[in-house]
This record gives sequence, C-alpha cells and structure tokens, in this order.
Amino acid sequence: MPFILENAAVTATTLSRRALLASSALSMLPALAPNTAQAATPGDKIRKLTLLSAAQASDPQEFQAAQLIAQSWRQLGLDVEVRGLPRPQLSDVVWNNRTKWDMTMWRMIGRPERSDPDEFTFNLYNPATIETGYNFIAYNNPDFQQIAQAQRAETDQEKRRELLYEAQDVINRDQPYLFLVYPKNVLAYDKSVWKPESVVEQSGIGIRCFWTFLRAEPAGAKRDMICNAAESMIAINPLYISGAIDSWVTELIWDRLMRVGPDGLPQPWAAEKITQVDPTTVDVVLRAGQKWHDGKPVTVEDVVFSFEAPATSDKSPMYKPFVANIASVKATDDRTVRFVLKTPSAAFATSTLAKINLVPKHVWEPILKGLEGKPENAETVQEEQPVGSGPFKVARFKLNEEIVLEANPSHWEKPKMDRWILRIITNTGAALGMLPRGEINFLSDYRGDPKLLTDMAKSNPNVEVVATTDMGFRFVAPNERRQPFDDARFRRALSLAINRQLMAAAAWNGFATPANSFVSPALPYWSKPGINDLKADMSEAKKILEDAGYVVVRGKLHYPEGVKETLDAS
Amino acid sequence: MPYLIRRLLHMLFVLWAVATIVFLMFRLMPGDPSAAFIDPTFTVEQQQAVRAQFGLDRPLSEQYLIYLGNLARGEFGLSFRQRQPVLGMVLDVLPNTLLLTLTALLIAYAFGTLLGAVMAWKRGGRFEAISVPLVLTTRAAPEFWVGMVMLAIFAFGLGWLPSGGANVAGAQYASEWDRILSFDYLRHLALPALTLAIYLQGLPALLMRSSMLEVMREEFVTMARMKGLSERTIMLRHAARNALLPLVTAFALGFGQSVGGNVVVENVFSWPGLGRLLADAIANSDYPLAQCAFLLIAFVLVLMNFLADLLYGLLDPRVAHGRG
Repeated sequence: MPFILENAAVTATTLSRRALLASSALSMLPALAPNTAQAATPGDKIRKLTLLSAAQASDPQEFQAAQLIAQSWRQLGLDVEVRGLPRPQLSDVVWNNRTKWDMTMWRMIGRPERSDPDEFTFNLYNPATIETGYNFIAYNNPDFQQIAQAQRAETDQEKRRELLYEAQDVINRDQPYLFLVYPKNVLAYDKSVWKPESVVEQSGIGIRCFWTFLRAEPAGAKRDMICNAAESMIAINPLYISGAIDSWVTELIWDRLMRVGPDGLPQPWAAEKITQVDPTTVDVVLRAGQKWHDGKPVTVEDVVFSFEAPATSDKSPMYKPFVANIASVKATDDRTVRFVLKTPSAAFATSTLAKINLVPKHVWEPILKGLEGKPENAETVQEEQPVGSGPFKVARFKLNEEIVLEANPSHWEKPKMDRWILRIITNTGAALGMLPRGEINFLSDYRGDPKLLTDMAKSNPNVEVVATTDMGFRFVAPNERRQPFDDARFRRALSLAINRQLMAAAAWNGFATPANSFVSPALPYWSKPGINDLKADMSEAKKILEDAGYVVVRGKLHYPEGVKETLDAS
Repeated sequence: MPYLIRRLLHMLFVLWAVATIVFLMFRLMPGDPSAAFIDPTFTVEQQQAVRAQFGLDRPLSEQYLIYLGNLARGEFGLSFRQRQPVLGMVLDVLPNTLLLTLTALLIAYAFGTLLGAVMAWKRGGRFEAISVPLVLTTRAAPEFWVGMVMLAIFAFGLGWLPSGGANVAGAQYASEWDRILSFDYLRHLALPALTLAIYLQGLPALLMRSSMLEVMREEFVTMARMKGLSERTIMLRHAARNALLPLVTAFALGFGQSVGGNVVVENVFSWPGLGRLLADAIANSDYPLAQCAFLLIAFVLVLMNFLADLLYGLLDPRVAHGRG
C-alpha cells in the first residue's frame, strides 16, 4: 500500500504541477520579450545552481517541493537543477563537505524541548557553529547574535517576546534560510475505545503526546492503548537520546522535574514548586512520596545525580549540552535542590528541567562506575528491566517487535489505561488497515498520504483524525559561503519567487502551513503575528534583483556589473 | 574422505570471500556511517568520540584485520544503532525467519511438485495451457503487490487473518516455544507464509514439469507401460519419483536463498525476522548488524548448497563417482 499511497499523491500533485506549468509558461512571455530598458551593464552570467534534496523515493514531498522551487526560480532567469540523494549521502555532503554545495532542502523536526524558541534562535544562526555545527549555511550577523544572546538571558517573558519578535524580523529581512512550510502531523484514534475529550492535542506535537498517554480515558471495556511505530526502536535508555520513537517511550517511564504542557509552556511535574531566586539561581522542591518502579523512594540525591551524571562524566554525551549551563546542583534539604547557572537562561526550564530524565542513583551509579576507563558509554547499556519513576513501567519489550508498558499504580497521576502497547508495523498501509480492525486503536505513526487517512475516517465513523501543525519546518538552505547566496537581496528575491501556498497544497496535499520564520505558529506565544504571510510575488522578486544590479540577458540572469563568477557550474 | 574435506575447504573460502566483500561493500558505500548519528546536539568531539568508539577512525587495513580476527572468534561486534551485540539481535529474530521460510517452502514444494507432475502428465491439454502462464505470472508478480492483495482480501476484506506482526498486541507467553506453538502465532504466520509460498511454488512446479517430461521419455517408463501398469502408477510411482531429484537441490538452495530473501514479505507483514532486520540495518548504515546478517545468510546458503551436494551424492551415485 505505500506504493499505492505514493501513486495517489503523485496524481494529485501532477495535476497542480500541470496548472503551475501552464501559469509559468504564461509568465515566461514577458521575460522572453527583448529587454528594452537595459539599465546596467551585466557582470558574469550566474552559473547553473544545484538544489540538493532527499531522493524522491525517500521523501516525495520534499523532492516535489524542490521541483516547484526550481520552476519558479527559472522564471527569474536562473539555471537550476534539482539533485535527489539518499538521506545518509545528503547528510554527508551537507554536513561534512560544507563548501561543496549550493543549496539544499533541509528540515528541523519538532521535539518537546523545542517548544522553547531558544534552541533554534541560538543555534541555527550562531557563528560558532559555522564550521561543524548547526549553522551549516555560514550565516554571520553579529546584530542578530546579539539579540539571540539577549533573549536567552532575559527572564522577563514579555520582554523576551519583544526580542524574539525583533529576531524574527531580522531573519525575515535577511532570509538566511528560505523557510517553506510547517508540516502538519496527521494521526488518528478509535473514539469508540478512547473518549475524545480525554485525548490531548499538545501544541506543536499533536495527539501522540505524554498527556494523551497519561490521560486518555477508556470509553468502553478495552483498557489497553495499542499504538504503532513504523520503525524499530533503538533503545530504552534514560541517558541516550536515541530516536524520536524511543522518546515517546522513555518519557513515559522516566519522570522529569518539569514537563512541557499541552500549551507548549513548561510546568512543574516531579517538582512541586520551582522558584527563580535570582537570574542564575533556581530552587526546586521535589514532590513528596515519589517512588522508583523498584519500590525505593525518589530522593534529592537521585535528582542531583541525574543532573550531575551527564555533566561530570562523558558517559552520556547527548545529554551533556542540556546541562552545560549548570555551575552547580546541590540538595539544600531533603526535598529541595538548588541549581546555580553559569549565565541567566530563559530556556532553562524547557531545555533542562523538562528535558533531563530523573534516574535512580542506586541503579546508574554502579553502571557508570563500571564503564569508567572503557570506550563504551552509558548509551550501550540496555537495562533488562528499566527503572524509572514515571507513570508507566516496563512490562516487557522487544525493540524490533513490541513494547508493553503497564500503568504505575503508585504514581501520583496514575494513567487511566491499563497498558500502553507499541507495535512495530513497518507497512504504512497495513497500519492504516489495522486501526478500524482494532489491531491498533491509536495510529501514532503515520507516514502515508494524509488524504487516505481522512478518506478512511469518512467511511469509519469511529476513526477520529487530528491534524496538528508541527513546530518543526522545511526550508531551503542556501550556502552563504558561495556567491550569489552571500547577497541577502538575492536570497530575498529567491524567497519571494516561491509560492508557499501552492507548495503546501501540491506537495503536502494541504497538510502543511506556509512558513517564513524559525518560530512555528504552533508556539503561539512566541510566533510573531503576520510573519508567515509572505506571499509569492514574482514581479517584486524581479524588481529586487534589478535594484540590486542583477541583469537579465537573453533570458539568463547575470551578476551586477563587475562581479565575476568564481565557481564552476559543475 | 578427500572429497568431503575439499568441499569443506571450498566452503570456508567462499565464506571468507563473502566476509571480505561485505566488509568492503559497506566501507566503500557513499556516505559516512556517522552521518546516521549526526544530530545538532553533537559537538565535533562527540562525533569523533563516536567514530573512535566504533574504530572508524583507524585505517581501512587495520579495520579489516580487526574484523577478520573478531569473526574468527565469533565476535560480530556491537550494532551502531542499537548498541547491542549483533549476534544476539540476529539470533533473536532467526527463529521467526526460519519458521516463515520453512512453512512457505513446504507449502510451495508440496503444491508445486504436484502441480508440475500433473502439468507434465497432462501435457498439451487445456490444463497446461492455463497453468503454465499462471505459474509464470505468480513468479513474476512483485511480492509486495501479492502481499498487499492478500492483506486486502484476507485481512481488511474478509477479516479472517491479522494484518501484521507475529502475535496479537500484548500477548504474553511462558516461553519462546509456547509462543511459536501458539495458535495466535500460526494465524499471524499464515498470510506471510502463503504470500511467500505463492512466489516460491513456481520454481518447483516448472522444474518438476520439465524433469518429468524428460523422465517420461526414458525406457523404463515405456517398459512400465508395456507391463500394462495403470497410467497413475506409472506417473506417481515411476516417473515422479525419478523426476524428484533436481528438486532436492532446488529445495536446499531455495531455503538458503529465502532465509535472506524475505525482506519484502517481512516488511509488508511487519514480520520480525532477519530480512526486516537487514533492511533496517542498511537503511541506517548499521554496518556491523548488516555484516552479521549478510554473513549468516551466506553461511546458510553455502551450508545448504553443501548439504545438497552431499545429498545428491547419496541419492544419485553417479555424482559421487564423477567427482571421485
């Protein structure tokens, strides 16, 4: 059925593509007319530009979007080629060979800790990460970085929002990345099994979230939630950020001091109270009476250990960045832990307190000791019986087949369901068919055509479909190490030439929202109103290029006067 | 027994060659294996640490020697992705694949042999005119398509059989044996096994047909006819038995091949087997896991080939004499 799905998507999109071709043929006419008012002397002809993308087979939507983009850029007089690569190869080129490509399609995915805009604001544009990190396009704007620093240190939420609005304006002006769409996650469940009012849609994440799994209430006799995942799990390990699917499971087993709530803002969880004593000091009071799944009490020593383990050893490298800003963490009495930060951080709650899993010291201290001096780290450890303090405990698991969790009766908020079961179903079509048959009752991973799912829901009144705008986004990353992408005006013209509305409708079948900011509208508090209303405007795009000195000669775009092409078209 | 020893050495050589090819194949493939790990939260040091941890920072020749040494000791290493010993991961899913393969092969060969015999017997008739193209069609039809059709009919349509997995959600068994012997497991096995059998039966059917046709021209068949035996006795007792010989090899090789060739069927039916593990491993550049899976598949294939050779020698003395 995946193949059938793709076919359906292709037919739907070829139609719109045809419409687009027709319209582009019309708008080509003026460009073909002799250029009467040639204002400036042209520089060199701009070489053929290559837009990298995931191969059509691995990501049809992205590939289709790239084709649409190339079409509109050709109307500006550019030679554009789309080159599809398998994902690992694409990552290798983009990430490890940073001078060797022009532009690439890329994406950032939504994760609960990204509910705070700090990560994207700080990392995506940071000059420090140009060589090896996030900022692979080499955008370097000290003014922006100053704002990014300021918002991070600003603990007054309103003032911080002002700064973030300003940051979004700068990015809109400079267009270092050409944002395209925020995709929508489409998921479904059987409402004859789960009461619809008890299913929680978390902002930017959707209904497959901690809150649904915690609070979904059985509508009838069935008390097990049966979910699906399209890939095998990698690990169930609280010190290893192993994969998206794994995180659904780990966040149910291991509690955290705070949790990102349904509204996208952090709220106290295993902590009863969080007090900001001063900009760099945070006091956390632990909720009383918590127990590990093995029956031992959760203590302040466990909490201190959970934050120290990734910081002081190299055994949990993936969690290390999240505790890097902690200068010290100490228990001040038997229920209070004091965090002292190196610098004030507005995102500390979301990106650290709501991120770090609380782990039992009596389990992990001996394990980490045993690993000392060995090349292996905690990521290679798979506990046979994982021990956390979260609302679910592990009954049994086979990473390639099925994970069975049971409600933890001694948790202060005991789940309403009896068991939470995750089945690994590699065939998208089969997963879709399993929902109305009851083989699963919560479609938690759906990678097929959303239209098929909504069609199925029409013929099965029990199937409830929920589409949620993601906090992640798709974008074009122009390599600013290479001309002409070093010119912000050129990038802005490229951006204005893209019809995002058409792209969302054609490539994503309507299950996406046009994007123009690194802050998704899924984070309503932080997203600047109106920033995403960028409309395609071909004549404005041409005017920007003309004003910047670019010249069209015989239908081909040339650099402004005196500018030489320094790179080969190859 | 110099023949046996020669065959054994030959087998070892083939395995070494496979091991070497597998090693080179993964390392010469485009894309860095650590690309699978690249995460924005990684610093350069962390990336290097990961490489060092898996020995990817050493020269290729050194990696190769370490690899061969480990293989000789039966160590296949840790999975890049799941960080667990790959041998355990492979052996965990192997029973599922063996059961699927064996069931499918038995159905396919029982049905195919019979069909082939009848096709030869009814040579030139309407039965043959219909069945030969039909068999060829099943052989040419893409497995995923057959699988989806089976799902559409028996799972989504009639609702008789489950649509994927090896057990009903949340099922618990006292032991692995209890699980495999349960009715639930059998129900889940039915569709993938049938799909695989539909694909596999073409070979024995066509092989049996041509082999039968050959045998039927032999003198002893004419002799049997002259003795006045019934057509049924001639076909089943005399012709079919003698025509079975090539099917022995085909079965053994078919077994070896489909242990690793179930990738499509296992993915369509979410069957937790070796083929799915292999596909996963390749998709995620998990070299150690893919290497181990490939080697195991090669081992089974070479072993079955070897057994077929031995069996052939026993069944048909001419073979053993010929190779002396």
